[in-house]
Order: sequence, then structure tokens, then C-alpha cells
Amino acid sequence: MKIKTEQFVEVARREMADLNSRAFLQLLPPVIAAMRKAAMATFPDPDAATEYSRAIRAEVVARLPELLEEFEANAIARGVKVIWARDAEEANDFILNLALKRGIKYVTKGKSMVSEELGTNDVLIKNGIEAFETDLGEFIAQQLNRPPFHIVGPAVNVSVQEICDLFMEKAGMEEATTDPVELGYAARVYLRDKFHHLEMGITGVNMAVAETGSIINVENEGNIRLTKSSPRVQVSVMSLEKVVPTMRDAIHVLRLLCRNCTGQSISSYVSIDTGPKKDDEIDGPEELYIVIVDNGRSDLYGDVKAREALRCIRCGACLNHCPVYATIGGYPYGWAYSGPMGQVLNPLLLGLDRTQDLYRACTLCGACKEVCPSGIDHPSMFLYYRSKDVKGDSKLKGKKRDWKEVGIFKIFTLASTLPWLWNLGARLIRPFYNRNAKNGVVSHISGLFEGWFRKRDLPAMPAKTFHERWKDIEKRLS
Amino acid sequence: MVRNARDEILGKLRAVHRADVPQRPEVPSLNETAFDREEMIAKFTEALFLQTGVVHRVKDNQEALDKLAEIAKEEKLEKVMASTDDVIAPLDLPSWGKENGIQILTAGDFKDRNSFKDAVFDEVNAGITGANFAVAESGTLGLIHDRDQARLISLAPILHIAIVPTERFVPIYESAIEKVFEDINAVPGQFTFITGPSMTADIQATIFRGMHGPRKLIVILTG
Amino acid sequence: MKKVSLFIPCTVDIILPEIGEETTYLLERLGVSPIYHEKQTCCGQPAINAGYVDEAKKSAKHFIEVFGDDEVVVSPSGSCLHTAKYRYPELLSDEPVWLRRAEELSSRLFELSQYIVDVLGVEDVGASFEGTVTYHESCQILRGLGVSEQPKKLITAVNGAEFVPLNSADKCCGFGGEFANNYPDISEEMVKDKVQNYIASGADLLVLCEPGCLLNINGYLSRNHPEKKALHIATLLADTGREVRL
Repeated sequence: MKIKTEQFVEVARREMADLNSRAFLQLLPPVIAAMRKAAMATFPDPDAATEYSRAIRAEVVARLPELLEEFEANAIARGVKVIWARDAEEANDFILNLALKRGIKYVTKGKSMVSEELGTNDVLIKNGIEAFETDLGEFIAQQLNRPPFHIVGPAVNVSVQEICDLFMEKAGMEEATTDPVELGYAARVYLRDKFHHLEMGITGVNMAVAETGSIINVENEGNIRLTKSSPRVQVSVMSLEKVVPTMRDAIHVLRLLCRNCTGQSISSYVSIDTGPKKDDEIDGPEELYIVIVDNGRSDLYGDVKAREALRCIRCGACLNHCPVYATIGGYPYGWAYSGPMGQVLNPLLLGLDRTQDLYRACTLCGACKEVCPSGIDHPSMFLYYRSKDVKGDSKLKGKKRDWKEVGIFKIFTLASTLPWLWNLGARLIRPFYNRNAKNGVVSHISGLFEGWFRKRDLPAMPAKTFHERWKDIEKRLS
Repeated sequence: MVRNARDEILGKLRAVHRADVPQRPEVPSLNETAFDREEMIAKFTEALFLQTGVVHRVKDNQEALDKLAEIAKEEKLEKVMASTDDVIAPLDLPSWGKENGIQILTAGDFKDRNSFKDAVFDEVNAGITGANFAVAESGTLGLIHDRDQARLISLAPILHIAIVPTERFVPIYESAIEKVFEDINAVPGQFTFITGPSMTADIQATIFRGMHGPRKLIVILTG
Repeated sequence: MKKVSLFIPCTVDIILPEIGEETTYLLERLGVSPIYHEKQTCCGQPAINAGYVDEAKKSAKHFIEVFGDDEVVVSPSGSCLHTAKYRYPELLSDEPVWLRRAEELSSRLFELSQYIVDVLGVEDVGASFEGTVTYHESCQILRGLGVSEQPKKLITAVNGAEFVPLNSADKCCGFGGEFANNYPDISEEMVKDKVQNYIASGADLLVLCEPGCLLNINGYLSRNHPEKKALHIATLLADTGREVRL
């Protein structure tokens, strides 16, 4: 997927002016957040259930190599072919070559964020193999050539008129309609044919269970089950961190995933694959390939702080609770992953230098951290990235800051360690700060806080700081 | 090339000193674990109703077939794909079909995958299956897929009818999973939890059922 | 009389010193003896938030030196308090001696409303206000410190005041320190949203416990809805009749 992380500010500006997106952002996240709360209440102790899930995901990261080996051994024992891919090129080469070898003309895709990370569709299409996204939202986003707006609803902000035009042009819809149900049905009809004659399907993986070598997919539409059941060849792609230790662990995480993702107790379909089909089955894959993708993750595994990002299960709860996301939607984050989890993951995979806005455009409010079922401390991660950026850390590709900013912080810090300098500084700044003050209000200061003063005032600096008043205050106290 | 990738990736991961595994907190059991069968059935029915699933309760196989006839009339069924699992097989649907003017197809009728797919995608207006489990906690069916329970039967047709003996009720997912994965050498290629019909809200957050899978799920509980 | 050490954050020291004064008088009225270490400066939160950890460490160590021997430290700022309580140990994790001092100090740090309600056991501080009052839950105070009931109890106990709820009270107002100036497009939308909720609540007054949020919300009100104001809880409770300009 094209990387547009450096266009964060301009895309955000554009999106904030898009009334359709704003309408959705007022509506959808709060509704899902409320449903999540209600669904979490089905646990006798919701907090304990969340903590347990967090402990599982922390354990996964701590034991990652051994769990991956255990998964591989058990999957192979059940007849799965396990493929390891260091990067996008290796993963895509394997998938392409398999498709070419089997004479595949097209594939259907179940929603897979890692395949967006890898750009798999583009590689297939370039080589004459069509790749149909089949999750309705992904299908629409793909046809419109747009990134996903929201993890769970990739095209939920797109107007029905636009979808109608799109389906009439590209999905064989004959009669115009703006009824969402009729549009959905038109997509069903168009994609059904693809499922019917499918020879190779590609899915993501929600969880890979080490104990049994199974993979688990979660969905509401049925497109993933169809992608797995209809063709003779199934390829399921997972990034390293999708493994969980045991089936019981997987079931617990499943409950948290569904509640956090869509506010459901469970999605319409959960399918658990352990090996290809048996010889006497008429449907299901004869060949099951699981591609384990690294793409930079093993490189950051040595960084105990950074690798916390690998706990993420892609539930999207953070998106639904983030006040910044609620203002700008998914597009500004500029890559496969959006919202707070995108702010956590994209910088690690793309470099701190290309993603500065992603980890700086956050107020550290902590709403994401509070709900995260994987125990990721997003604010702390952003502070970590900021510090690595300031230092110009070579591994994470920190950019370092400009000399003016560095200078300001050095001076400010010096003043914070020398009280006399602190007080002197306040006295010196006051006339400059108050130059344009009117009735105790400052509406602009040339060259300072320009972003702030566009729509906000500041109080004028009073004649005396608290420091300067203390002697008098002390006197007036009994 | 592929072998090197594995060793390289695992090598990098193993080179790092293994961190401590955090302690897991105590989590109280779900309420459903204390339910008796009638409570499980009530919970199942309520939960599935909220997902627009329809639940009928009948005494036995004969009543199930009668109920099925009612449904077939309502839904104007003509051709149906049925599984041959241990719930459906004893019902002798082919005979029932003859009596009720409905053509019953099974996976065994087809010589290969492609002809089976043609039928299940394009020709039938319902799929009838049994289920291995009915999970109370969320109104969920658990299906073990094998020769007698093809995957597409409960997925491709616009209507899915599931017949489930009430002995198969379990309180929570773990109860089903424990049985399915008891013997690692006898684990099915696919096991599916089904909770209600297929749905999406991807267009303007408006709910639409029957996105790619069934639009309607009808469950007949026997016993 | 119990001695309480005042931690007056730099925003209050330099721009809103009246809040510091009100905090002092309020505590004195409640029977404690406020002391103020004049050597205090800035807790280092801006540096931490911008990623300047080496610099922040210096500010942190200065802070720990200034307050290290105090039995109780109270502050009218939640975000600075959160920094000292929770960020310092992270910051100093590679210096065991300083880490221990930071951890040790953290249990003696209190946000103002937290101190009054939880430690002094007081809810009615003798203040009056005729009208409806609503409360904005600052992120670092609510989620950072776990303080939420205390300010609301104090507000409810104000003579003549009627507490009314605020929609999305716990949603960030868009300050976030450097965020407000570096990402003004987004920050403006967030504070606008907060202000719209304030107006929709119908409350005569919005009260909060965090100077950063106060500057943000009042700054926007001053430019866009000058007839409405937000007050720091110290101002409400000290009830000195001061005319709040901004």
C-alpha cells in the first residue's frame, strides 16, 4: 500500500472539512464504544477479563519464538505447509508463484491488513491475476482506490450515491439505487460468482494457535468462510504476532476481540482451520498454506519497549475511543494501519522519520490505553518514539529536531534547574509576551504560538509571577 | 530460500533474552457455566433472537419434520442441500422431501467439487444441517465439518436451517472446543461457530443481512 | 498545624498565579499550613512530551531535590502531578538511586481536590455559588491519576451550586501541550467540540482542575464565546470574589 504518512496534516485538514466523514465520526465510534461497554458487562468481572487478555498478549510477545515454532510444528503435523517470509517481496513472490503454478486467474481475499501492508493485491494484478476484496467495505474501498477509513468499516463513510455509481460502473448493477440493503445485495450477487468458481483464496489470520497448529478467522459476512471453503487452494497470511499459546487462550481473546471490535459478544462466524480438508470431504482446501510474515518485526524484537506494539490484535477499540481519530477519520494516518494502533505500529515498520506526525499528533489522553485488551500503553509508546526521534536513533530512524526547537528546550531546562534564571527569564519575557495585550488578553505574539493564536487567546502575563508574590502571600497567611 | 527465511527470522527472535511471562489474574467463570439445560436453552434462544435467528422447540424428530414442512411452505422451498450428519441422516430427509414436494440433495449425489458447488451456490434455496453443539452464552451453533457436513451447506444458500438435539447444549465455547480438540489426531479440518445469519453494516452503518452467507438462520431444537 | 508543600506548576506560576494564591488561601482556610519552596521551577513535562528525555531528567532531579523531604505535596495541576508521579520513574529507570527517590516521593504527591477530599476528608469548604455548574474531566486527572469523584463532590457541596452533567465530559479538550500549537486544525476542532458540549449543558459555569485545559478552553471561549467562562476548581472553592478575566 502506498505510504502517505507524510501527508497527515493536509489529509486531516481535508477530512475535517468532509461533512460525510464528520457525520460518521460523530455517530459510529460512540455507538460502538457504548455497545462495547454493554458487551463487556456480560463478564462477571470485565476488568479481570481484560487483564487476563492483556496477560495472554504480553506472554505471546515474551515467548514469541518458541510459540511460533510450536505453531509451525503442530500445523505441519496436520498437513499445513508453513511458509516464512522475511519481507513483502518474499511473501508476495510465494503467493504469486503458487497462483501461477496452479493456473489461477483470480483470487478472492478475506480482509487482511497484513496483505495491505505487503501490497499483495498490486503484485497479483500486475501479473495478470485479479484480486477481489470481498469484505463489503474493503471491496468498496478497493474499487474506489482508497485506503480504509476505519478498521471495521473501511468504507462506512462513503456516500450511498457514490456506491451506487460505483456498483453500476464496476459491479454489474443494472438499476440505480441508494438503499444500503439493495446495494449490499448487488455486491452479494457480483461477488457470489467469484466465490462459486474460486480456485484459490487468500485470507488473513486473526489468531494462530500454537497448541494445535490451528488458525482462526472472525467475520460477520461469510466472505472468509467462502474464501476458505470453495477453492482447492487456501493461503492464509499472518504477521508474526498473531500467535497465541493455547486454544483456551484463543477463546478468551476471541471474546475480547469481538466485544472491542464491533461491540458484539461474538461475530456471526468464527472458523477454526486445523490442516487442509480430509480426503473424503467435498469442499475445503486440498492445500493449506500459512504464510508467516516478518517485514521488520524481528528487527525490533530486541527493543523491549518497541515490541509492545506486537501485542495488538487489531480490534480497533482504540480507534473508537480516540478523540483525534474521531475528528479526522482513518485516511490521514496514511498506511495500512490507522488510529492509535496505526500510530504505534506504522512508525516501527516505516521509520520514525516518515511518521513524525503519527506519534506527535496525540494529546496523550490515554483513552486508547484504557480500553486496549492487549495492554498496550500507547501514550508511553509515543513518548518513547519522540525521545528516539530527538536522539536521532539510527535503528528506529529518528530524524532529530531542528536547532531552534532543541535550543528552546535546552534553555528552558537550564532555567528549570536554576531558580534565579527561571525568575529572571519570566521578567524578561513579560514585556515581549504582553506587547499586544488588551484588557488582560493576548490575541497574538509575533513569531510565537502561531498555531494557538489562530482561534484562541491567552491571558496576559500578570505583573508578578507566583514566585514574586510569595513573600506577600506568606505575610498575609496567619 | 524459504528455509533460510525461517532460520533468519527465528534466529533474530531467539537471540533476544527471553522476558518474564506475566502472571495471569483470576477470572470468575461466566454465569452460563452454572446454567441447567433449560436455562441454557432460554439463554441461547434469547441471544440468537437478538441476532434475528429464529428458534423453534419441538419434542422429537417427527415434530421436527413437521416443523420443517411448515418452514418449507413459508419459505417456498423447492430444492434443498442437506448434510448427512448424525442428526440429519436419521431423519431420512429424502423420503420427507418426496412427501412434501421438495428435492433433497446431498454432497454424496455429486461426483466432484465443481458440480457440488454449482448446486449449492445456484440451485438450492436452503441448506439443512445438524450441529454438534449449541452454545448458550451467545446463541451459537458449533459445526464440525467432515464428509457428512460439507462447509458450503450452512454458508452458500440464502437460508440455513439447523436441527439440534437439546442434549448438545453446552454453556460456553470452551465446552465445545475441549471436545473438538480432545484427540489431536482426530481434529476436523474446519470447525465453525455460527451465530445468526450473515451480516454487514459496511454501507453507512446500515445493517444488512445475507451479505455473502445466509440471510436467515432457523434453528429447530429437538427434545 | 499540618504542613503542606505547594507545587505550583509553571503555567500557574507565570500566567495564572491567582490560581496559586487561591490554592494557598483555600488550604489555609481548611486548617493546613502551606509552605512554598521558592526553588521550584518546572516539572519537565513539556520536555518529556516533546521527547527531550535528557533535558527532562535534569528538571526531574531538580524537582526531586526541591520536594524530596516533604511529607505532603499538593498541586493545582493534575498533568504535572501525573508527570512527577508516573513519568519520573520511567524517566529515571536507568539510575537506581534517583529511581528510588522518585518512587518514594510519588506516594506523597496529591492533586488538590484529591488532597482535600481523600486526605483532609472535607467536601464542604464553605464556598458559595448561585447557579448550575458542570465539570470537565481532564485526561491526566481522570485516567492518569484516577481522580474523578473528588472534584464533583467538592462542586456539589458548594452552597447554592447545582451540578449538571456534561456530555462527553471525559473526552479530551485538545490541549495536549505542544499538540495544541503544532496541530491547531485538529486541536481547534476538539476544543470547539468541548465548548459546544459546555454550551449544550446549559451550565452557568464550567469547572476543571487542570491549568492546561483551562488555558485551552478559556482561550477558545475568549475568542469565540466571550460571554462564557471556565474556572479552576481552586478559584471556585476559594471564593474570593475575584473577577476572572480569562
